[in-house]
Amino acid sequence: MNSASTQQTDTGQRLLEVKNLTVGFPTRDGVVLGTDGLTLNVGSHERLGVVGESGSGKSVMGLAILGMVLPPGRIMGGSIRWRGEDMLDRSVANRVRGREIAMIFQDPMVSLNPLKTVGAQLRELLRHRAGLEGSAVKRRSIELLDMVGIANPQDRLKSYAFELSGGMRQRVMIATALACEPLLLIADEPTTGLDVTIQDQVLALLHDLSTELGVSVLMITHDLGVVAQFCDRVQVMYAGRIVERAPIAAMFADPQHPYSMGLLQSVPRVDLHRSELAAIPGEPLDRANFPPGCAFEPRCGEAREICRDAPPLLTQFADRRWVACYNRDPDHTSGHTMTETL
Amino acid sequence: MLRWLAKRIVAAALVVFIVTSLVFVVTHVFTDPATVSLPLEASEEQRDQRRAALGLDRPIGVQYWDFVSGMVVGDFGESFWQSQPASELVFERVPATLRLVAGAAVVTVLLAAPLGMLAAWFQRRFADHAVMGFSMAAISAPPFWIGYLLIIIFAVQLGWVPTFGSDGWRSLILPSFAVGLASAGRLTQMTRRGIVEELRKPYSVTAMSRGFSRSYTIVHHTFRNIASGFVTMTGWELTRMFTGYTVVIEVVFAWPGVGRLAVHAIENRDLILVQAAVVVLATMVVVTNLLVDIARRMIDPRVELL
Repeated sequence: MNSASTQQTDTGQRLLEVKNLTVGFPTRDGVVLGTDGLTLNVGSHERLGVVGESGSGKSVMGLAILGMVLPPGRIMGGSIRWRGEDMLDRSVANRVRGREIAMIFQDPMVSLNPLKTVGAQLRELLRHRAGLEGSAVKRRSIELLDMVGIANPQDRLKSYAFELSGGMRQRVMIATALACEPLLLIADEPTTGLDVTIQDQVLALLHDLSTELGVSVLMITHDLGVVAQFCDRVQVMYAGRIVERAPIAAMFADPQHPYSMGLLQSVPRVDLHRSELAAIPGEPLDRANFPPGCAFEPRCGEAREICRDAPPLLTQFADRRWVACYNRDPDHTSGHTMTETL
Repeated sequence: MLRWLAKRIVAAALVVFIVTSLVFVVTHVFTDPATVSLPLEASEEQRDQRRAALGLDRPIGVQYWDFVSGMVVGDFGESFWQSQPASELVFERVPATLRLVAGAAVVTVLLAAPLGMLAAWFQRRFADHAVMGFSMAAISAPPFWIGYLLIIIFAVQLGWVPTFGSDGWRSLILPSFAVGLASAGRLTQMTRRGIVEELRKPYSVTAMSRGFSRSYTIVHHTFRNIASGFVTMTGWELTRMFTGYTVVIEVVFAWPGVGRLAVHAIENRDLILVQAAVVVLATMVVVTNLLVDIARRMIDPRVELL
């Protein structure tokens, strides 16, 4: 039952392998898990979406991959491998962070240093992290701003973040992320907080850049629209665990996990005339009180006795399709298949 | 910027004027300089003579005008005690006080900025607890006591520096620490708290996600963002020094500054001299505040101060 190690992403060489990642935050009521045995892989030239509601552990996952779990949180188990190297090794993480894996964040309004000009922030990165010197620094700064579609890049170098619009700031953020030519970009809700038209522009820009530069993207979002528009593959996250993993078309055509189905039904669509959006019943999970079984069981319409005992494993049921649900698990319905050991 | 600066200077001058007026009210309306300057057993006749000599028998408005217009040209009247112009006595002491406050400011900033950053860097570890314990002690101990402690250890026991007086920079060291330690303690705590808070903000997280180390991020990103608050706090501390700590410490170290002069003037019931010392100290406070405002504006491009 160790087929996970041989599972291939279908888009070339594997870059990032996260296995069984558990991040915990000690609190007065015990340890709250940010992610709970999370597994994911990103291949080269791939755009993977991770979708889940707020509090599902998405952002914790992004920071954990970079070795940046904020204290008092800490990684309690699992492994993160980057191109075969152990990212939990501090020296590896320090080398990779910002150079080979870069991250862009939710709120471009506050993610740039308010007291440094755009040029100063790019210069600092290019000198200290990309190892450029002299006139090459300025040339590359202008090139980067130009690349992310900022007009008059030369003049913009002198701007402070507060002099730029939200969309422009996110473009600058993307430029700083790409400064060291990373292989993987982790985008944590990169369009949240932007105007809808600007959201589309930023998403299109990210899409074009990832294709042109061959950068893989790990898109963390709560927005299935973003996933549909942007990603090749998607993983649905609930309560710190992956509950379903599928290519993008399959996920939207034929979701398997009850939570995925609920998510899809709660998306407004112009092509269907529905008077009301379906909401997933129940409350989002209280992270301090983890049920011993499937975390979605209290809200699930299909819950059975077995769901309360132990969490279901993420199991492959078709080509490139995985689900963690006893009702879909072939082990419980039709005998032997490959199961990921979690 | 120039317009703003002009406004600030006018405002500062106005504050000095108001302080001057308050001083006048206290010394001329609530008290009688003639009575205070004479021995208790002086007769009413002697008092009247003294009043006439000081021009206190004139209408209060005229006295006020005299006082203010004299102040403008640096004339504070004649000291009873020393029988020479109060302005001369005060002005010759100003450099010593400025030197002491400058020394204390250097101690404060050079201790608080690195120690605060260090504590934030090693948050919740030994270095953090050590720094916080030290700063708590510095805040809690009265400055005069710190002064005596420093004298006993470094001047008497170790003999590294003079016990008192103001001969050269060596004699400046102990008084500077005595004046600056409490301020350094408060500022260290504020720096640590500010950096810890700022380190959680997205721009700090972004900087670290770009591969900058925690220490680099603290020094090059985070500290700059609390620099405005740091400068403001330093300004407040300087204000406290001018009006409080230096007075005490100048006495402890026999330091020939304005604060010690003021104490002697009070002891000798020399209201004219007290008046001059207070106005000069207040002016130094106002000028300090002005400099702080200018510094803040230079640090933060977003600040549009009134």
